[in-house]
Amino acid sequence: MSPAYILKRILLIGYTLLVVSLIVFAITQILPADAAVMMLGENATPDALAALRVKMGLNDSIWLQYLHWLAGVLHGDFGLSMRTGQPVAPAMFEALGRSLLLALFSIVLMLVLAIPLGIIAAVRRGRAVDLGVSFLSYVGVSLPEFVTATLVVLVLADWLQWLPATGYVPLTEDPLRGLRHLVLPVLTVSLILIAHVSRMVRSELVDVLHSDYIRAARLKGLSKRQVLFKHALRNALLPTITIVALDVGYLLGGVIVVEEIFALPGIGRQLIVAIQARDLPSIQAGALILATTYAVANFLADIAYAWLDRRIQYD
Amino acid sequence: MPSIHRRDFLAASAAFGGLGLSGLPAFAQNAPRRGGTLRVSVDQAVSKLNPLVTRVNPEYLVAELLYSGLTRLNPDMSAEPDLAESWTNSADLTEWTFALRKGLTFHDGSACTAADVVATFEAILDAKTASPARQNVGPIAKVAARDDSTVVFTLSAPFADLPVTLAYTNAKIVPAAVIKGGLEKLDRQAVGTGPFKLVSFEPERQIVVARNEAYYDKARPYLDKVEVVVFPDVSAEASALIAGDTDLISTTPPTEFGRLQKASGVKALRVPSGQFCNVNFGCDQKPFNDVRVRQALALTVDRAAMVDFVTEGFGSIGNDTPLSPAYRFFAELPAKKVDIAKAKALLAEAGYPKGLEATLIASDRPGQRTQLAVALREMAKPAGFDIKVETMPHATYLDQVWKKGSFYVGFYNMQATADAIFSLLYTSNAAWNETRWNNTAFDKLIFEARATVDETKRRALYAQAQKLMYDEVPSIIPAFFDLLGGQRDWVQGYQLHPRGAVFRLDFVSLGANAPKRG
Repeated sequence: MSPAYILKRILLIGYTLLVVSLIVFAITQILPADAAVMMLGENATPDALAALRVKMGLNDSIWLQYLHWLAGVLHGDFGLSMRTGQPVAPAMFEALGRSLLLALFSIVLMLVLAIPLGIIAAVRRGRAVDLGVSFLSYVGVSLPEFVTATLVVLVLADWLQWLPATGYVPLTEDPLRGLRHLVLPVLTVSLILIAHVSRMVRSELVDVLHSDYIRAARLKGLSKRQVLFKHALRNALLPTITIVALDVGYLLGGVIVVEEIFALPGIGRQLIVAIQARDLPSIQAGALILATTYAVANFLADIAYAWLDRRIQYD
Repeated sequence: MPSIHRRDFLAASAAFGGLGLSGLPAFAQNAPRRGGTLRVSVDQAVSKLNPLVTRVNPEYLVAELLYSGLTRLNPDMSAEPDLAESWTNSADLTEWTFALRKGLTFHDGSACTAADVVATFEAILDAKTASPARQNVGPIAKVAARDDSTVVFTLSAPFADLPVTLAYTNAKIVPAAVIKGGLEKLDRQAVGTGPFKLVSFEPERQIVVARNEAYYDKARPYLDKVEVVVFPDVSAEASALIAGDTDLISTTPPTEFGRLQKASGVKALRVPSGQFCNVNFGCDQKPFNDVRVRQALALTVDRAAMVDFVTEGFGSIGNDTPLSPAYRFFAELPAKKVDIAKAKALLAEAGYPKGLEATLIASDRPGQRTQLAVALREMAKPAGFDIKVETMPHATYLDQVWKKGSFYVGFYNMQATADAIFSLLYTSNAAWNETRWNNTAFDKLIFEARATVDETKRRALYAQAQKLMYDEVPSIIPAFFDLLGGQRDWVQGYQLHPRGAVFRLDFVSLGANAPKRG
């Protein structure tokens, strides 16, 4: 992988972000009601609306609004939230931090559990262990998050009262309480991920174990264990990396329901609140952050591919 | 049968009133314990800290902890002194004089005087501030300071309710210096005279306040600290209370109320309110400009069924007037009954012998709007109404239908006074004249009542106004909601307020069995 290739990819990410910002901006223009209407709600009088629109710069032409915004971003200024009047960037990055915390713990738990589960199921294909893992992962994949989350709360918080039901405490404020509050959301999200990934690992591994080169390796006299870990797993994990990369995006932007239930104000929820309030600078910043994480995660996945499989060349 | 419902309801509300009050004698016997941290949960973010522009209940709750008004609202909807110690009015009700307490200070240590009150009301009345208080504090023409502790309000018309309307959620006093320097300062900081001072502010997660040692009342607040925590999911919010993570839920839906009732150590709270969902008619457009069409539709509504369906049993019937028994000037009228034959006859008389088609619009927030619309569609069918229900996102509704449409579902919180709700919605010059009923006889009654001090005379005027709405049906008001909440049993001195937007947490204390927190 050449430095030129990496540079090219980074430039491409920048281009993607520009296009995303344009599309998001265009879509917000089509939505009914603007930030002034949403903010004043049922207290809107024509003169109050007019005054607020002037203050927010909503009377400028659409292109001018976009260029203003773009110029600000290029200077590192994401603008002020139309809803709270506060700088957008710190609020969004704080939310991103909380989402990353959830994502990090969930991915670690997933990797620790999902890959071994997938391997065991593949090696013992058709036996009770395999059926058990398959059944549980079917359940995990098909249950919507709000059901899993509610069940987890019901059992671990309401009945057993082991853990706090909901709420978020920053680790910097009280590490122990913070971790206790993180357990349930992490559990909810990783249950889904584990179901997802263990199924993937199993089916890939089953395919690989039936291929000629594995038979050749066995005939060469290598032990089952050596074949599994040195030869089969390496190839079987490749598609899993793509799945994990996509899951990172999902973990940051797609777990809004989990964030709502556990009152964990992450980036997904922040974005929904911004959309409901037609808070343009926050919507743009949130969309850009999410697009960046997807792009970067995919980029990293590509690099990991090349590293795991030396036959893959990028140029 | 409807009369039984009515009596049931009155008995129930008496029982609840009693329940609410039962805290008070105990309260009088042993003085409230000082100290402790109360954790109260709310279901929405607190985006606005500036009390002049707060818009939702969680924001009102926080503003009330940090700021004070001239007056504040009692649970019986009367005004009690806050920063103002006492007040007098001229005989013609156009000039009101308020005497401030002596030695008031803001959280930053500066003195709070009549000049700050004047500056605050000037800011409220300025359209550029976009304060909801502007339309709600009364017909104020001029505010002036007579001396450091006397404020004189000159009104544009006689108005008997001023002490109550000045208790409006957004009419909180802020320093004149802050107004001069730009109200933006109050987006992150709180410079009030309230019982608590701001410690930390995270809009989406938690707001912490601590006792203001310089509060004008030496006894209150009883609590050292209040943590307001945001739980956007209502069932998670209830779980937190059941698990003992939180002490108080300010408002909760019927589904969660059931869970709270069953939980041990938790007291489910309920109070009848004047909050309602209605069907607004555009009374200036066909077909609803014909009073007979409106009356016909009103005759199809089974109000007891509406209470069961729309409020899930946690409410009381309405008779198409916006005053529930929780209002001071509520007048009892015979409960309206279903009469399909009469409805058909009225429709035929109005020129629709074959029935009538109409599209009823309901926004998706809150969900009760759609429930009401669907129930009405089914109830009205036998009389020949063919109603199509169209639901839409709230933003679209606000933009395209609200105040413009001629047949849609409204949702309103209880106001502090009869005048406030009538002149918000139903007079010809109403702030949101959604029905365009424009009835001069009604306007006259409301205007006259506004200028009447004598309680009996006023009651008679409002009774006539309610009768007029009962007969002419500018909107169908089938049911009123009860407000629901919950608390741990160690919380003392808390009472659900029928207005919904008032909390009075400075009267709350924690019992000896409360858990110790930070």
